[in-house]
Amino acid sequence: MPPFTNIPLSPAELSYLHTSLSQTPPLRPDGRSPTDFRPLVAETDILPSANGSARICFADGTEAVVGVKAEVERSLGLGVEAGDGDVDMDEEDGGGVGLGERGKKSRGRGEWLEVAIEIPGVRDDDALPVFLSAMLSEALLADGGLKERLWINARFHWRLYVDVFLLSSPLSYPLPLLSLTTHLALLSTRLPALISEKDEDPLFNDDWEASLYLYPRASEPAAQTLKPPFTLLVMSVGENIIFDPSREELSVAESVLAISASPSTSISNSNNNNTLNMVALRTIDPPSRLTGSAVPNSITAGGPSLTSAEILALREKDQGQSVWRPPRGGIPRALVSKMIKMVVEKGGVGEEVLAALAGVGT
Amino acid sequence: MTSLKRTYASTAPSTTLSSKTYLRTLKSGKVQKIVREVYLRQDIACSSQLCTACLNLVPASFHKKADAPVLSATPAATKAFPNGHYLIPDTNAFLSAMDLFESEGTVQDIIVLQTVLEEVKNRSLPLYHRLIALTKNEGKRFYVFFNDFRLETYIQRDAGETINDRNDRAVRKSCTWYAEHLQQAVRSRKSARCPTIVMLSDDRANLRKAKDEGIQALGLEAYVAGLPDADKLMDMVASSRENRAVKDSKAQMLYPNYMTMSAMLTGVKAGTLHQGIFHVSPYNYLEGSVHVPAFDKALIVQGRENSNRAVSGDIVVIEVLPKDQWKAPSSKVIEEEDVNRNDNAENGDDEQEAVVTEKERRALQDAVKKVHGRSAEGQPQATARIVGVIKRNWRQYVGHIDKDSVRSQAKETRSQQTVFLIPMDKRVPKIRVRTRQAADLLGKRVLVTIDSWDRESRYPVGHFIRSLGELETKGAETEALLLEWDVQYRPFPKTVLDCLPAEGHSWTVPASLDDPGWNGRKDLRDLLVCSIDPPGCVDIDDALHARPLPNGNFEVGVHIADVSHFVKPNNAMDKEASLRGTTVYLVDKRIDMLPMLLGTDLCSLKPYVERYAFSVLWELDTSANIVHTTFTKSVIRSREAFSYERAQLRIDDKSQQDELTVGMRTLMQLSKKLRAKRMAAGALNLASPEVRVEMESETSDPADVKTKQLLDTNQLVEEFMLLANISVAAKNYEAFPQTALLRRHAAPPKNNFEELSNQLKVRKSMDLHTDSSKALADSLDHCIDPQEPFFNTLIRILATRCMMSAEYFCAGAQAYPEYRHYGLASEIYTHFTSPIRRYSDLEAHRQLAAAIDYEPLDASLQSKAKSEAVCKNLNVRHRNAQMAGRASVEYYVGQALKGRRLEEEGFVMRIFSNGFVVFVPKFGIEGLIRLRDMVVGQEQAGREPESVYDGESYTLEIEEQGRKRTVALFEKVQVRISDEAEESTGKRKIRLQLV
Repeated sequence: MPPFTNIPLSPAELSYLHTSLSQTPPLRPDGRSPTDFRPLVAETDILPSANGSARICFADGTEAVVGVKAEVERSLGLGVEAGDGDVDMDEEDGGGVGLGERGKKSRGRGEWLEVAIEIPGVRDDDALPVFLSAMLSEALLADGGLKERLWINARFHWRLYVDVFLLSSPLSYPLPLLSLTTHLALLSTRLPALISEKDEDPLFNDDWEASLYLYPRASEPAAQTLKPPFTLLVMSVGENIIFDPSREELSVAESVLAISASPSTSISNSNNNNTLNMVALRTIDPPSRLTGSAVPNSITAGGPSLTSAEILALREKDQGQSVWRPPRGGIPRALVSKMIKMVVEKGGVGEEVLAALAGVGT
Repeated sequence: MTSLKRTYASTAPSTTLSSKTYLRTLKSGKVQKIVREVYLRQDIACSSQLCTACLNLVPASFHKKADAPVLSATPAATKAFPNGHYLIPDTNAFLSAMDLFESEGTVQDIIVLQTVLEEVKNRSLPLYHRLIALTKNEGKRFYVFFNDFRLETYIQRDAGETINDRNDRAVRKSCTWYAEHLQQAVRSRKSARCPTIVMLSDDRANLRKAKDEGIQALGLEAYVAGLPDADKLMDMVASSRENRAVKDSKAQMLYPNYMTMSAMLTGVKAGTLHQGIFHVSPYNYLEGSVHVPAFDKALIVQGRENSNRAVSGDIVVIEVLPKDQWKAPSSKVIEEEDVNRNDNAENGDDEQEAVVTEKERRALQDAVKKVHGRSAEGQPQATARIVGVIKRNWRQYVGHIDKDSVRSQAKETRSQQTVFLIPMDKRVPKIRVRTRQAADLLGKRVLVTIDSWDRESRYPVGHFIRSLGELETKGAETEALLLEWDVQYRPFPKTVLDCLPAEGHSWTVPASLDDPGWNGRKDLRDLLVCSIDPPGCVDIDDALHARPLPNGNFEVGVHIADVSHFVKPNNAMDKEASLRGTTVYLVDKRIDMLPMLLGTDLCSLKPYVERYAFSVLWELDTSANIVHTTFTKSVIRSREAFSYERAQLRIDDKSQQDELTVGMRTLMQLSKKLRAKRMAAGALNLASPEVRVEMESETSDPADVKTKQLLDTNQLVEEFMLLANISVAAKNYEAFPQTALLRRHAAPPKNNFEELSNQLKVRKSMDLHTDSSKALADSLDHCIDPQEPFFNTLIRILATRCMMSAEYFCAGAQAYPEYRHYGLASEIYTHFTSPIRRYSDLEAHRQLAAAIDYEPLDASLQSKAKSEAVCKNLNVRHRNAQMAGRASVEYYVGQALKGRRLEEEGFVMRIFSNGFVVFVPKFGIEGLIRLRDMVVGQEQAGREPESVYDGESYTLEIEEQGRKRTVALFEKVQVRISDEAEESTGKRKIRLQLV
């Protein structure tokens, strides 16, 4: 008996799916092209008292809400606060210079961002939400721009709570849904405008209209438009690369990658024609590996009686040609780089996604 | 997918839901985004008597009768608005011209928009409270229109619009709506006259936009100019910001800038800056002190630049100066009038003002130089400079116009000029006031307020409110001191009088014992109760009785007027009383805490009539130890109301052997024992210079001044009142350990006595032990100069000044050991015995009534926070009442001595390097004699005689025309007393001269 994989498909169906996805161009069960995304509905600013929020519904019924809240917090062990005793002051000053220089690069800290994911029916210490939140925060922190913006002054910082709620049960792998919703929520996130100066206790403008976007908009006089990173799920079947795989497609995937990309910020990148930077990459164990393999007709009952060693040899020899066999082995390097390229290249899928998300009205 | 979003944007004109989003910073530093949903309605009335449509809208109130419309159907007309007008002022108009709106009979029919009210609240809380008081004043016809809740006048903030712009737009929108609404109303009534809606604003942009939108709008000044008596009213308007802004550009900044609020708060939290209340020395206007918790001694703030525009009473943030700038407190008397006599009030453009005039600098330097390098008193103390003001405590100031600053005294010139106002309170700097009536106001007591103190102005800028009358007239001076001490002296409003019993003076204790008034009351009418009070007392709080018990002990009763029966918690009368806090006694006038009907009749324990009382009954043994205490509400009938003197005579008169007199004698004996016990426990016998002004009965002009005589009967009453207070305090604390209202007197910090004990040691080689109240009491008893009986009293007066002042507090706010009353040497204390004249006693009554299960305690007395707020107010009121009383005595003493020249003996109380303070016991007055005044001969006036000041031995050696003389502290001197109208304060003051 094959292990329970939550995939209600028989080996024959799997084999059929796999075969059709292996065609050139692949034939997807819902008729999409390989780079097509399923239609989705999105809106932002749905939670009035959060700093930022968004909601996305996929056509398959999965739905997520993300709320972003920011809280002022005292920074410990940084800058002024550390020097309590007189004796330590000199050391602190000495160290302070170095810290200041390092601080130029990054004054922010990763732990200022907290991503919590709630999936119905799953405990919050379950592997799935923990792994998902690790992936999301990894991508968010990767470019360093976000935590830099959480820095208020040497003594205070924002702590950003990103609360992700999956409203439906996870029908397909929920990473892209959560990532895109988080992306939208962060885009709409605003932080109160600071009116105090330097290292004073922070004081904020009480006018919400005056608050600033965490990721400044193009209309604002920021140096450039900043956007939070997003994570896409890409799978491969043979040489075919398929974006936004549905649950059925995932069950025959030979490899699955979660690719996080963020709009490139540094000028040095402008010589290559990528508008996006890949900030994180994770391989994901495809559920197809957990399916049971089928038994070729030649060795089923009624055929010649064979020893178990012979049966094994025969099944290995078939290599999934005639019947379904779970995929094995890793991903070819060339395929990985092709996948990444498709996401980040100019005019690639990533850009398309960004443009589509930017169009979501607030 | 249906959207989850609740849209607040007004999509249709009939959308009645909107929202408001803002940020709130919590004390903890957290920032919250707050979203308030706003439900818009159409049933908010315009409240004009012209409008019949709105009449039906108004919801019926509690009594099923709707509130009557506020705005008159025939509002006042002016030349510009012949049909009459309703005013809609914007926020700035209220901020800069509150006094105009408050002044009687000037403007009426005013619509206060909710937007404006809220903005005023955000900008200035005191002004907000004044505005609220105005809206409650029926005669003024102020109506608060909730425009942000009315659908038609609500506006959504546009994208990119500032809050100010949005609010201005809201005001204009309301103006437009009102105008249309009234038009309709008038049309439906078919009357011809439709009042104009006039928007009042000081903001030019707003005015222009209003004109564009077709709204009648006027600037403040333009509007006031159209009113009758415009000159007077114009003075009440703070000079508009535009005027000031013009000056800003060219003026030179004289004072350092204040730190930002956040920088100050950070500094205070981190301990690098300190926060405290700025007090200016009454002797030296250039020196102030700020007491902060981080230091034992107050920090000194010297000079104008360091005090950086702070006015006495402000809550300031200070920075301690480096040690090389520490100075001794100056030992010199510096008065503003002497130093800056010839300042120009006009602040002309040609003349650059310096913050610190050369003269001021010299005066300060001299003061510092003279004491430099000496130890003891002259030790340098930490100095500080003010870096910012947390809260201004500006109030209205009484003063008079400096006649030197008035350019043209001709009555007919109506040109506006800037004059200096010299406040009565010497600690407050001169105030620059722009007025058109300078000539009229000369020689009058006037009330002004400070509007601002900008960096480029050496003096604060204020505006004139009203004139109180001629200087030195009784009415003006009395009102002046009431205003100075913030005593509420206006008649009780109708809402308060409504709370009085309907029967009025004919109210009596119900005859039938079944009446609910008798519930829980003991019938003590057969006790031989009498009252002993000062002569002429009409508000009799307390009465006493004593009778022997069969077991040889005595039953003693203290019966206090049962005010809490008449004043129920939280009604208008209770609120008014809690605001007033105390009755204020002036020489010729009493400002009551409770309406006359209660204070002098229904509550007062008048003789021969039955009255409700709250009684404390003790069983005392023969050595006056308490065997048993009972508290009960009761009904008594006082047999007699004695004055102290008459009671004394009656007790001393051996021929009187009736029961009442015997009872009084028992009281007398017991009181002496009680007193002895109290003294043994370390109670202090303190002294303050108390005098009584005798009035001529006909004219009520002061005839003579006498020091108060203390009789044994005074002490009799005092002892039993103390005993009652202590008993009640213990009972209340037992019942309400968190909320009981108590009174404490903190032990004075040791260094308070430092100076006095050093002075005693040096001058008289006497020791003052200040370890405990007992030690102090004993050592005070030893401070006796055999030649000089008054010396001991003098030391007691000085010792009293070193002590902390007693204060009310709520039991939960302090630890039990802190409850101690230092002066009375009692573990716990409260005020219970004078509920007619003190609000604290009334609260104690309520708590005691609840403690003995007579009635449930009102919720307001169960909340610690509320009780604490009440205590805080009571402490302030109590102190102000005392000050006002003293000021009144001072004024009348001055009047009594008017035109007389007397020679009296006095004592040197305090010594400076350029003068000394002499106390004259006979009149209870103290006065400063400056060296400058000792110069003989007119031609040399203003010059100081040669002198050597020795701060170590507290002596001042003066050489004048070859004659040498030394003045030492505590020395007895002969002084000549005359009177003069003091130029600086306009008060008639006693002038002392050394003979």
